[in-house]
Amino acid sequence: MRGRELGAAAVLLAFGLLALTQARGLRFGSVVSPGPGFFPLCLAAAFSLVSLGLLVRALRAPTGGPSPRSGADLAGRLKVVGTLIGLLVYALVLEPLGFLLATFALLLFFFTALQRQRWPVALGGSLATALLTYLVFKVWLGVNLPGGLWSF
Amino acid sequence: MDLLASLAYGFSVTLAPANLFACFVGVFVGTLIGVLPGIGPVATMSLLLPVTYALSPTASIIMMAGVYYGAMYGGSTTSILVNIPGEAASVVTCLDGYQMARQGRAGPALGISAIGSFIAGTLSVLGIMLLAPPLTKAALRFGPPEIFALLLLGFTMVTYLTAGSKLKAVAMALLGMLLGTIGLDPITASPRFTYGTLTLADGLGLVPIIMGLFGISEVLLNIEKGVEQEVFDTRIKGLLPTREDWKRSAAPIARGSVLGFALGILPGIGAIIPTFISYALERRLSKHPERFGTGMIEGVAAPEAANNAATGGAMIPLLTLGIAPNVVMAVLLSAFLIHGVQPGPLLIREHPEIFWGVVASMYVGNVMLLVLNLPLIGLWVQLLRVPYGILFPLILLFCVIGVYSESGNVWDIVVMLGFGGLGYLMRKFAFEPAPMVLAFVLGRMTEESIRQSLLISRGSFEILLTRPIATTFLAVTLAVMLAPVVVPPVKRMLRTVPLEETE
Repeated sequence: MRGRELGAAAVLLAFGLLALTQARGLRFGSVVSPGPGFFPLCLAAAFSLVSLGLLVRALRAPTGGPSPRSGADLAGRLKVVGTLIGLLVYALVLEPLGFLLATFALLLFFFTALQRQRWPVALGGSLATALLTYLVFKVWLGVNLPGGLWSF
Repeated sequence: MDLLASLAYGFSVTLAPANLFACFVGVFVGTLIGVLPGIGPVATMSLLLPVTYALSPTASIIMMAGVYYGAMYGGSTTSILVNIPGEAASVVTCLDGYQMARQGRAGPALGISAIGSFIAGTLSVLGIMLLAPPLTKAALRFGPPEIFALLLLGFTMVTYLTAGSKLKAVAMALLGMLLGTIGLDPITASPRFTYGTLTLADGLGLVPIIMGLFGISEVLLNIEKGVEQEVFDTRIKGLLPTREDWKRSAAPIARGSVLGFALGILPGIGAIIPTFISYALERRLSKHPERFGTGMIEGVAAPEAANNAATGGAMIPLLTLGIAPNVVMAVLLSAFLIHGVQPGPLLIREHPEIFWGVVASMYVGNVMLLVLNLPLIGLWVQLLRVPYGILFPLILLFCVIGVYSESGNVWDIVVMLGFGGLGYLMRKFAFEPAPMVLAFVLGRMTEESIRQSLLISRGSFEILLTRPIATTFLAVTLAVMLAPVVVPPVKRMLRTVPLEETE
């Protein structure tokens, strides 16, 4: 556990120091008349200090043995990364392709790659869900969704 | 205005068809997501924010509030029947509720939790009515130093009540506030951390952040570990508790209500902590403390009353001071702001229809929930059988649609995914998301109040120590910081209590 905590604290500290250098670029003003940089600079400094505290605490913690990792762990993590990447690609193609097509593709990816549903089930489910959400949100509720290639 | 006349006015607002419908949609959706695992009131309320554009401010707030207290009802159903708390505020209900269900007494357990919630909800509405007007008068005397000191107290409470590392909670609060400074400076309107882009000039959106931290990350965790779905297969009959049940539950419900309401008012408490405290209190008062955890009806009645009463209590700082005491109220605050209404001391005078309408809607909503939850319990149980494999793509899709429809900007989806990943990692590394979101929301107010204080005092921090109200808040802040060190039982208690609406 020690390595994980150490890593997390180091990332936070790096972010804090980055914020500190960025905040210095803003006008600090004075305590009598604080400028735009006053508050961010104080926050970045405090955040860096607290991160440093976390780092020190992680260093002083006893080193535990390596935590057991199993195959199920890895499979689960792959699913998480897969889901995030799928959604990111979805966000990028949403406007050019349009809601119907992009959503259909996203759901197909979820049902087949992540869940191993049979193809007929995955195809049918994706198509029905994409159509239904389109009808409910775009047509019925009038929510602003991109039409793209296919729309009605 | 006379109190009763005001309330009557409130009912006339609530009973208007549009508002009545908003109330129904709110409590219905609330119960639904309360029952379903993997999505909670915070994410749902932010999802509904764009929907409220089309509604009047009153209807929006009525609906939002309905989602929240509806979720409290729904959450207890899953606690009792499947031993999975639908909401974090129902964790304690599992202890005795599930045992009752295993002994074939699921009916009375569900019944007492609905009825206890109803009584507590009603009592807390009464509390709001009585306390809000005088508090409003006091709040009018608040200047920037008082606001700053109060916010400081709120942040201290939130971080000190966090389960696990306090240092991590402080780090998250500071990080949230830092992220909140992206965009235009509130006083001089000069851009900060925007790097010349127009998208960042408005700052990061609250909705994508909340949806990411509370919606997406929750789904990611569930995908990783898989969700167990074993509905306790029992016929639920006889929802009405017996006379003996009543006798045993009456006092716990009353105590839970008062305790929940009083604690709920305090900043940073939320609805979860009162449930733990009221459960502990009942066990201490009981003649048979050893039998708690084996299906004692008191152990269901008291915490269920407490979490509903806390919901009402939490409305008080929002309605009278315009300060969000927890994440749920932060979302409610943004619902107010979307409609250009500033909650705070002037709310009752300037928008009596909203204040009294919302108060009255909570009575009406509680009655609706009673009807929705008792006879329709079978329907909600069926919902628990929907496989998570079907549920999670839908939840993700709704999150995307909700975020995109609010701004029409793909960038917000990317922000949501970023915070989804961040939230997932935060849970893995035991960082709480709640202090971060709360600090993000209140950061601007904090900055304004401290900068204005310094302008008033010409750069002297003494202004915080020379004004009685501000000094009192600071003293309480200090006491909160020192209490765990000085009073060992407080420390022990805090260690066992998880924080906030992490769903």
